[in-house]
Amino acid sequence: MSADTPRLRPPRHRVDRRAVWWWTTRSLTVAVLLTAAPLVPAVFWEPPRTWFLLAAAVIGGVGLFVTVVMPQWRYRVHRWEVTDTAVYTSSGWLWQEWRVAPMSRIQTVDTARGPLQRAFGLSSVTVTTASAAGPIEIAGLDRALATRVADQLTDTTQATPGDAT
Amino acid sequence: MTSPDEHPRTDGAPAEASPGLRDRTGASPAAEAPAAPGEGGAADWQRLHPLSVWASAVVVAVFVVPSAIVGTVVLVVAGQPLWALAPVPGSLAFLALTTYLDLLRLRAVRYRVTAERMEMRSGIIAKAYRSIPRERVRSVDVAAPVYVRVFGLCSVTVGTGEKVGAGSYQLQLLYVTAEQGEWLRRDLLYRGAARTAGASSADGEEAREPGETELASLDPRWFAYAPATTATLGVGLGAIAALVGMNAQTGGVGWDWISDQIALPTAEEVSAFLMARLLLVVPLGLLGLLISGVVVLTAVAVETWWNYRLTREADGTVRLRRGLLTSVSLSVEGRRLNGVTLHEPFVLRSVGGADVRAVATGLAAGDAKKTTAKSRLSPAMPRERARRLAADLMRAPDSPLDAALAAHPRAALRRRFTRAVVVSVLGAVLAGALAWLHTLATAAWWEVVHRVEREIIPVPLASTAVEATPSWGWATLAVGITAAAFWYAVGSYRGLGHGLHPSYLVVRKGMAVRDTVTLERSAVIGWRITRSPFQRRLGLADVAATTAAGQGMYAASDVGLEQGLEWADRAVPGLLEPFLVRPGSDAEEGAGVRGGRGTGRR
Repeated sequence: MSADTPRLRPPRHRVDRRAVWWWTTRSLTVAVLLTAAPLVPAVFWEPPRTWFLLAAAVIGGVGLFVTVVMPQWRYRVHRWEVTDTAVYTSSGWLWQEWRVAPMSRIQTVDTARGPLQRAFGLSSVTVTTASAAGPIEIAGLDRALATRVADQLTDTTQATPGDAT
Repeated sequence: MTSPDEHPRTDGAPAEASPGLRDRTGASPAAEAPAAPGEGGAADWQRLHPLSVWASAVVVAVFVVPSAIVGTVVLVVAGQPLWALAPVPGSLAFLALTTYLDLLRLRAVRYRVTAERMEMRSGIIAKAYRSIPRERVRSVDVAAPVYVRVFGLCSVTVGTGEKVGAGSYQLQLLYVTAEQGEWLRRDLLYRGAARTAGASSADGEEAREPGETELASLDPRWFAYAPATTATLGVGLGAIAALVGMNAQTGGVGWDWISDQIALPTAEEVSAFLMARLLLVVPLGLLGLLISGVVVLTAVAVETWWNYRLTREADGTVRLRRGLLTSVSLSVEGRRLNGVTLHEPFVLRSVGGADVRAVATGLAAGDAKKTTAKSRLSPAMPRERARRLAADLMRAPDSPLDAALAAHPRAALRRRFTRAVVVSVLGAVLAGALAWLHTLATAAWWEVVHRVEREIIPVPLASTAVEATPSWGWATLAVGITAAAFWYAVGSYRGLGHGLHPSYLVVRKGMAVRDTVTLERSAVIGWRITRSPFQRRLGLADVAATTAAGQGMYAASDVGLEQGLEWADRAVPGLLEPFLVRPGSDAEEGAGVRGGRGTGRR
């Protein structure tokens, strides 16, 4: 590899620390529901009870592992950055994704807060371009910061020429 | 679209186009006469053609009335004369009702084309209003299925790059007269040239025809490529399976009945006869499958591509015309054609064929799989011809398809080998399991299987063949799966490639279906880099350019991370640059988090 090989540097800012708790809660909810599913027949149905309990144990174990590992891992990966010319994000944990979109191609900027995010005072910024590849989402920002970022993006986008297609 | 060249045009369009349009409608009333789309000025609301109701009625009648008659006959035969009175009047009432509703729908639909936008009102109870700014019109599709064509009508579908009202990307008129369809097709995409072409519009229709250049037209020999798909055997199998299915429905009685009628031997005799000549029967059977598949697929290709003609008109619009029973005319604004795909499925590739598809904004990506997909710009044709057509479409001095493609790292091959190993192991497990089951099966069990099979198909071969297979046969299966998996892995790796042309980027991938995609570098609207845990371990990544055109994203798969970033950075200078660090020139290692000096200004 020559000295000139480029590397992708991580985006500048981390998401809010509270996002770890948001992801933990979310993951825990899913894990609990999935674990409970085989427990219900185990209560009412005698003969295959051990098998159902075994299934519940396996699902519960995996769910617990994910709940412990995933949020920390995500917190290390999830980052974002807005410059004068582009939006740059990274996300994911096992499967990771980096997205770049230039200001001139941004169509809409939204903020969204699910009930769970709201409980932690968090907010997401969604940046849509004309591509069918899906929007760029910065999830787990502090609510006030998210509003500021969205405003800044909207202003910059409007100041940048181009019709975004 | 690029901001610099687009801006003045969008700004100027409404002011300029308006007089231009009026001028055209005023100056050449004769040319516009048939449908009079602009007679009282361009802003008049138009209706669909009244005959369209009858066209729909005919379609419904063609399906409903015969089935009603069949129903009557069946009921009479079944000894239910009273019930037999129901189907025909019932279907007629149904027909009347649908026609009436259609009439209401027709009354409710209005559309108009003004200088700035195309608008459409529809709906009887729930009123809908949809409007497309003219500069957002990306494609106009004029289709005339045969039952509509006899009335001199056609349907018009206007495609945009984005949603129009309730979740739809397009606006459809069912149906207008053929003249009106042609007028809409021209007018909606003619905006860019409306200024410059004041003279040519006055000259009317004749003047514009010579302006078009022909990119391709049908060579009937190309139909020979039509059956070159993996589906050929499958379609043949489908045709024969339909017959077998009908026989099975009657529990084998169908075959018995036919053999009674024309003194054919019974199923047992036939199967004994065939089993004695297995070497002859199997190849003949395959040949039969092949021939029925060839017939069906060629017929489909002829229907789809008859009268095929691809032209570029004076204003840069690319126009596709094709179809035997359903004649289709599709226009794509030249600027929206951001690239092409050279599409080579495995079987077609092995006989030296390919077809060309558009990478264009406003052509729905979802329908890319259908044979009648709008993005398909050519039938299967010889590879060299397809490459030439692609080069003509892109109007680049040297074809982007000739750009040298860089190979991907050996790690990509290793990844494919890993997958092949997994498939081989699964294949071995499957073969082992089957061999084990084979030893378990008893004579009595086989007897049952044979009887079941004989009821389904008059020529029972499958279960007998399986019973006769020696145990080592299953080992052959495992070896075969392994060989195929590794062969596929190598082919898949060889298919990978990415490259750059002065104005296009090129990516290629695929073994079962090899797609070489060219995309205008100015049409790239972002990058998406994804890495799975396996890719991170091997230093690979998927580097995808996002775009408004076609599928929305075109990726260089399993490219080396540095290689891919370098490629992306050179393809669209400046976009990725602020987020790259070059260890040799830039700040210290690990500067990623805090460093990258001078990049952001926040």
